[in-house]
Formats: sequence, structure tokens, C-alpha cells
Amino acid sequence: MKFAFYPGCSYEGTAGYPESVSAVSRALGLELEEVPDWNCCGATAYFSLDKYQALALTARVFALARARGHETVLTVCNACYTTLRKGYETLTSDPGLLARINEALKSEGLAMDDTVQVRHMLEVLTEVLPPSIWSEKAVRPMPAWLGSSKVAGYYGCQLTRPWGDLDRPERPDMLERFITALGLIPARHSAGTMCCGASHSAVYSRACRPLVERIVRGVRRAEAGLIATICPLCQFNLDAGQIDLPAPHLPVLFFTQLAGLALGLAPEELGLNKLMISLNFTG
Amino acid sequence: MDDQELEHIFYEKENGHQILKCIQCGTCSGSCPLTGEMDHAPRELFALIRDGGIREALGSTTPWYCVSCYQCMVRCPQQIPVADLMYALKRLALSAGLACSGHKMPDMYKAFDQVTRRFGRITEPVVMARYGLGHPGDVLANLPTAIRMLGRGRIGLLPQRTREPKKIRALLASRNQEE
Repeated sequence: MKFAFYPGCSYEGTAGYPESVSAVSRALGLELEEVPDWNCCGATAYFSLDKYQALALTARVFALARARGHETVLTVCNACYTTLRKGYETLTSDPGLLARINEALKSEGLAMDDTVQVRHMLEVLTEVLPPSIWSEKAVRPMPAWLGSSKVAGYYGCQLTRPWGDLDRPERPDMLERFITALGLIPARHSAGTMCCGASHSAVYSRACRPLVERIVRGVRRAEAGLIATICPLCQFNLDAGQIDLPAPHLPVLFFTQLAGLALGLAPEELGLNKLMISLNFTG
Repeated sequence: MDDQELEHIFYEKENGHQILKCIQCGTCSGSCPLTGEMDHAPRELFALIRDGGIREALGSTTPWYCVSCYQCMVRCPQQIPVADLMYALKRLALSAGLACSGHKMPDMYKAFDQVTRRFGRITEPVVMARYGLGHPGDVLANLPTAIRMLGRGRIGLLPQRTREPKKIRALLASRNQEE
């Protein structure tokens, strides 16, 4: 299976997302072609500043993927997902505005239309690949330390909201199904879709700290040993945000790192050394 | 811009008429992760606008505390696009020069915009450094985390960029053509 891959600006500096995304894709036979010369999606900043510019940034990403003959742009970031999807939904229902933006893209030989859609990689690993792939490829039995830990799925905000068609906006279960398919035990907890503070945490840390506290408290109460996330900012806020909280601290992995471990890949192939809260492989 | 003009833009051009459906149930305020920081909770802000307080609403901290988690939007029993209206209020506040001066997010978004214009992509430490010119205290507060990240090889010292950032600048500038 071949996809256009949109890494997004946060990807490179994350705790092992690039390493684990490529290792897992290789192991599963997914071909990811990076969107050539991709630009920033605009995130929440541009929609706060200027709607035309916000939409134009998203349009260029779709147009670049289209020029390479793709039908799906894969992202591994919730903010990129919702921003690109918002661009898609808005522009495909406003032909006048799309035409105006396409006029501006013409100088690069680009044009956006409705043929390229955006999907989160979790959706592909859970809904698009045959579920049997995990029982075929995952290591059995799982190493004891991993197989005995409950894994708390953490969705964050912008995957199931505001869309609500990918999964339920309240109490989604895609991550839990993913964790189960890997052969691991999902934790039942109430913090899966609570906000981590997103980019506000960089400048309003005092206000955002209780948000991380609440999430970690919920996860600990469910006796989870690990947290699995699907977004760079969520991972960062939960990982770095726990350092100032009382121990014990829970390692916060990307879902692709978890998949890599289940597939028997080595921790160093998955960039696990980059986590701030280290994973204990023997515990 | 006078109040009438501001109301016209908000209600007619920005989908703001949706707030006329608001039943003041407070589900948005109760679902908001940062409602405690806002000078008006979202429910209250909509009441204020309906009572003719558009100017005060545009100077409110509320839209700038919105983290875009969309919880209000999926829960609103009247299907009011609350978070999208917060975006609309932010844009209108900036263009009318009414945005509250005490909030830090406008500066953060402007730094984000400047870095995008210069490089086509953002690199968080670069955005933070630019934002930090006006807010050195926040940079200092984030320094321990930045050092930890550096130790784990997670902070690139070079900004990421597209091949020709001037093309991104041209795309952004195309907003001013015709319209």
C-alpha cells in the first residue's frame, strides 16, 4: 500500500516518531512517500490570524500530493489532521474560494481538487490493514514486561473532534482496538480525549498543568503502565509535563513505538531512548 | 469600525448568527479545559454579544484561551460551532485592532506566522526564540525542558525549511489580490 506522507513541522523533533514510523511501515509493507517540499499546515495559528491564508497553506499540501498521483495524505499529528481536514471540507464546498487559491498555486504548477483526502496513520493501521496482519507479524508470546502492562490509549483532541465520523467524539475506541490487536491489554480510563493544553502549555504552563495532572491521575487509577499517544504535542505535554509531577511517572509512547515493540523491533530502532520518561524493559 | 460594522461582520460574514440559537445551557463552559482562565466563559461571551457587547467581547481573553479542543462544539445541543466562532472573534479582534493587549497568544501566533513566512515550515525552538524577544520570562521557564530535549538529540539547531520559502510568502500574499 502506498501513501503520501505529511510529517508536519513537529515530527522531526519528537521522541522517536520518525524512527518508529519508518521501522513499522517497513515491517508492515506500507510505502510512505513524503510529500515533496511540504509546507507548514498552519495549525491553529493561521485560523486565528487569517482564514484565507490558513486555507491556502492546506491547499498547497493537497495539491503537492495530487501532483504525485496520490489519493491519501497520511499524517501522524492530530493538529495536522484536523487542520488539513478543515481545509479539505471548507475548500471542496466553496468552489469560488478554491478557484482563487488555485490561481495562486498555478505559479508552482499546482492545483487542489477533491481527489486527495487526509487520514491519520492510526486509522490505516487499525481500519485499513487486515486485522490478521498483527497476529501474523507480532511476536508471540509478548515479552513479559510488555504483555503484563496495561496500556492507556490517549487520543487527545483533534482526531475525533470535531468530525465525529472517524470514531465517537466521546469515548472513542480505535486506540483500544489497536492495542488489543497488537496483543496488549488496553486500560479502561476516562482521560482519553481530555485536552493536554496543546500549544498553550508553552506560555500558560501554570494553567495547563492541572490538565496533564488530571490525565495522568485517570490513567494511574486504571493501573496502566504505559500511555500510547498519536500526536507529537500530546506526547510532549504528557511526557515532559510529568517530570514536575510526583512519581511514579508513566512512559508515554507513540502508537508506532508500541506497534514496533509488538512486532519485536529493537528499542533503538524505535527511538525509545528519546523519551524523557524512560521505558523500563525489565519491570 | 463602529459597533454596527463589527456586528455585521461577525453575524453575517463569520457565521456568528449561529449564536442566536444559543439556549445558555453552559455545556460549552462546562466542557472547556481553560474556562477558569477566561474573563467570560463561552456561554457568557455569547450572551454579551447578543446584548450588544461586541466591542467588549472582541477585547475579551476568552477566544485567546481557546485551545481548539472542540469539546464545546461536539457537545453543543444547538450545534453551534463554538470553537470556529472563537477563531472568527480572534481574526476580527486583530483586524479591528481590538484584541486584548494582556494575552500572550496573539504574540505567539504572530511569531508562528513570521517563522512560516521566512522558512515555509516552523521549528518550535525558532518560534519560541522569536516569541521570546517580547517574553523573555517564558523562554527562561522553558529552558530546563529545552536542555533535556537537547540531551536526547531532539532539538535541531537549524530551522526546517521548504525549498523556496518565497513561494510560501507569495501564496500567503495572494489573499490581497482582487477579493
